[in-house]
Amino acid sequence: MPAMTDQQIPSGKLLALGELMSKVAVDRDKTAFAGLFDHYAPLIRAYSLAREPGSDLVADELVQEVMTRVWLKAAKYNPRLANLNTWIFTLARNCRIDYLRRNSRYLTEIDPTDIFNDMEDEGPGPFQLVQQSRAEESIRAGLEELPREQSEILAKVYLEGKSHQQASDELKLPLGTVKSRVRLALKKLEVLVER
Amino acid sequence: MDKLNNHPYGELLASYSAGSLPLSQALCISAHLEHCDSCARKLQRLNRVGTELMQQLTPSKASDDLKNRLLDRLDSLEDETPKHESARVDPSIPRCLRQFVDSSYDDLRWKWVSADIRSVELCRDSNGARVELLKIKPGGSAKTHTHLGDEYTVILEGSFSDEAGLYRKGDFIVRDRHDQHTPVATRDRECICLAVTEGPIQFTGPISRLLNPFLRRGYA
Repeated sequence: MPAMTDQQIPSGKLLALGELMSKVAVDRDKTAFAGLFDHYAPLIRAYSLAREPGSDLVADELVQEVMTRVWLKAAKYNPRLANLNTWIFTLARNCRIDYLRRNSRYLTEIDPTDIFNDMEDEGPGPFQLVQQSRAEESIRAGLEELPREQSEILAKVYLEGKSHQQASDELKLPLGTVKSRVRLALKKLEVLVER
Repeated sequence: MDKLNNHPYGELLASYSAGSLPLSQALCISAHLEHCDSCARKLQRLNRVGTELMQQLTPSKASDDLKNRLLDRLDSLEDETPKHESARVDPSIPRCLRQFVDSSYDDLRWKWVSADIRSVELCRDSNGARVELLKIKPGGSAKTHTHLGDEYTVILEGSFSDEAGLYRKGDFIVRDRHDQHTPVATRDRECICLAVTEGPIQFTGPISRLLNPFLRRGYA
């Protein structure tokens, strides 16, 4: 039997996770849910710790919020429309936005639910399906090729949830440099081109 | 759906995808996305960037205690996501704005700003930005103004033009503190915009400049 390539391992794993997900959605299977927890909870914790290093309590709270939504919204997740990893990423992002809003020093009445709800409940439209798996591979490969100064900024924005201004303060770079590095990275990843 | 000419630039869309934008700006992006398939597709790919970055993190093991507590609670969980859907809501109102607009724009408490303009403040963001709707009567003009901060505008109904071009329903426009502009609504119908202003507007006309101290107070 030929050895599996690097690209095949994650997609095979994703397939297995997809099966767990469907058991959760259709059969309300708690053992399957525990399997999803085992895989995703450590990633969700890592995502939270990227923003607040050392805050185990915050990380656990985010896990609880996200996995609660996975259980409650399982029936709305459509595997044909959205990759499970992406669904989890958007849930984690949305839960973090909620958490930050509730714990902000300055309150706002803006409810983020309806701003970011699309992916949670509907996923992308069917027209995106065809391109999805190819985009997935090219983005993964592209991220590895990025110069460090560009991937560092993407990590600040996506994982630490920093604004361009915060990234500029922390990295002691002019705001314009931060923006242009994001722009260059997005260009290399070809995520903004019209297809 | 007509193809739009004015979109959020890529870095802004990426920050939206990352969840690192102030909610007031995210509100504008969300309103634009409902009108723009092209940006919606870009957003999907930007979400994949976040997904891949998350996958590359070093996993941090969760305790069995956390897992067991959650497993024990599964049967009693209820979806508490707030719903802002009213049966009477005008379907042309973007979903993200239905938390402020129950049924139609007409039912809001519009305030007089000038002969041509009415406004209604929806809320403030935690960074102090003001979120409001502006209504310009057909052919009406907003005074020439600059801003002390950035201004984000999405056209919800009608259209307007300024020195730089014509903007239609769904268009997304950012003006910074250096831009001086005079928007004029087209003559066929009134124009309604979502506007997020990070600092007070500065009127630059010789007489209206006198109004500036009063306007600034709103942001103290």
